Amino acid sequence: MENADVFLGLHDFLERMRQPSASDFVKSIKSFIVSFSNNAPDPERDSAAVQNFFAQMEVDFRVHPLWAGCSEEELDSAGEGLEKYVMTKLFTRVFASLPDDVKLDNILHEKMALVQQFIRPENLDINPPFQNETSWLLAQKELQKINMYKAPRDKLVCILNCCKVINNLLLNASVASNENPPGADEFLPVLIYVTLKANPPQLHSNLLYIQRYRRQSRLVAEAAYFFTNMLSVESFISNIDAKALSMDETEFEKNMEFARALLSGLSTDVDSQPNQGGQPLNANKEPTAPLKSSEVPSLSDLEDKGAALLVNDKQSSQVFRQYPYLFAHVGDLTVNDVEDLLNNYKQLVFKYVCLSKGLGVSAPSLPLKSSQTQDHQHAETAKQQDHTRAVEPNDEPSKDTDRKDDGSNTESLFEVESLESKLSQDEAAAVQDSKHEESSQSQLS
Amino acid sequence: MGCSSSLPDRSSGRLVGPNGENGGASDAKNLRVKLVLLGDSGVGKSCIVLRFVRGQFDPTSKVTVGASFLSQTIALQDSTTVKFEIWDTAGQERYAALAPLYYRGAAVAVIVYDITSPDTFNKAQYWVKELQKHGTPDIVLALVGNKADLHEKREVSVQDGMDYAEKNGMFFIETSAKTADNINQLFEEIAKRLPRPAPPSSSQNP
Repeated sequence: MENADVFLGLHDFLERMRQPSASDFVKSIKSFIVSFSNNAPDPERDSAAVQNFFAQMEVDFRVHPLWAGCSEEELDSAGEGLEKYVMTKLFTRVFASLPDDVKLDNILHEKMALVQQFIRPENLDINPPFQNETSWLLAQKELQKINMYKAPRDKLVCILNCCKVINNLLLNASVASNENPPGADEFLPVLIYVTLKANPPQLHSNLLYIQRYRRQSRLVAEAAYFFTNMLSVESFISNIDAKALSMDETEFEKNMEFARALLSGLSTDVDSQPNQGGQPLNANKEPTAPLKSSEVPSLSDLEDKGAALLVNDKQSSQVFRQYPYLFAHVGDLTVNDVEDLLNNYKQLVFKYVCLSKGLGVSAPSLPLKSSQTQDHQHAETAKQQDHTRAVEPNDEPSKDTDRKDDGSNTESLFEVESLESKLSQDEAAAVQDSKHEESSQSQLS
Repeated sequence: MGCSSSLPDRSSGRLVGPNGENGGASDAKNLRVKLVLLGDSGVGKSCIVLRFVRGQFDPTSKVTVGASFLSQTIALQDSTTVKFEIWDTAGQERYAALAPLYYRGAAVAVIVYDITSPDTFNKAQYWVKELQKHGTPDIVLALVGNKADLHEKREVSVQDGMDYAEKNGMFFIETSAKTADNINQLFEEIAKRLPRPAPPSSSQNP
């Protein structure tokens, strides 16, 4: 999915809205957005209202002199521009606006946090030739970007990019191992596994939001298929039990129990979820506010800080429980451990290099002794999280990147004011947004 | 291999193709049809589709990565075209409960089994029953015995397949994705059986 043309679509759309002849459009967009603040959230009604509004506007665009002589594609990008503009404005009002949805997000998030501790590819029928946990990290990262965007299309693109990465990896694996070309039998299990490991923020709310506010006529064909896969992933994960993973009841319970102990020992705030809704849920999030987001600490600063915290942490022995080989001697190891060790090593290197890159330093050679405390840190999490979270097991890279959106620009962006006066500002924000997309997602093409 | 390409679709950054197919609108002359594939894992669902799409390679068709979703347009003698949007499903038992998400709104369901495995034939019958109960009304059902090239390992007779299909008012055919036998016939026959003019437009929504 390339995003450049959609950025152009928004740009072009905003340009046209500046024309004097667009004043009627500007007026109706403005009053449509304002009308939302008068009513309590009602997803069914809101979704229908938005879809109808988009449909009507697209009809009006088609016959308006502003688009005279334009191609279908230009009209289509005008529709995209409208969708992105309106939904960015309405985002705080309609995203995760019901307590029930927030609750489901939290339940799902916790379930994934637990199951990701012990799930193995075999539990989902992923055959060995297709297993590639290290490369799956790339797919996880796409999914974890979902809260960096507010427009439904941009969120959808995160899902589609994740699916593309998986498809590419499966295809390569099938060529390398002479297997049949991969179909859904191979694809869905990997998507489930990747989602569990990524534990993307507010998954339930994000899916509902895309379903309700992505223009329905554009959620078709391939996009509809992969989106449906994501819905089915959510459904599968919500219902995960011993049987779904081919485990026996006691083994499953034991695993869940152990995962719970592990998480509660490591994190003081398992319950508080990353939240994009701009709700005050974040308010109590950072009691100690250890690092200001404006300053990026150096790699060694982080290491020192983490080490100091570990020394003071009474539960530090538990932290290391998840690294079974940390205190092993050569004589303890068997040949069978090699595969595990190699996998661990690959993940470790991957995360470490990401961390270094994220901090803008060239990756130093891996310091073996201290790496165990570092491998779960990530530039973004380090910036924003308290230190307890930073050593959380399997703290997947940008679990909390969503908070980017809650930054200073949010306030100004969402004030419902005169559309005209806000155009340039929104445009600037959109440019940033698109640039980000371009640079971070172009690797996929 | 070589039946699908890892090249991305560079011609269009949009989520759907050009030429006004956005609305999911199909008219009497140009049908757009959602087709869902069901069947046990390993029966060759994706191979059938790849064979179908590769066999009639159309350089203008969208290049898609992976075989879990593919689309292919065929032209019929009466100068109508049918664009199949083919949704593959995971066939493993643990994913069976998710199938309704996929077959919702489908105009066609192709249920595949492996003629060398009676278990997969039983599973196919399970899907037929499920679709009769919960599928789109007037959905076109096709029963496909795949791997027909493996005569010497056959364990489900042609007659059994035919009888079951007839009893349930379905179209039946045996195919070999390996030799391409009957692959095009399968989709052409389905196209002929589609209700005209257009399938319900709801088939375009997830």
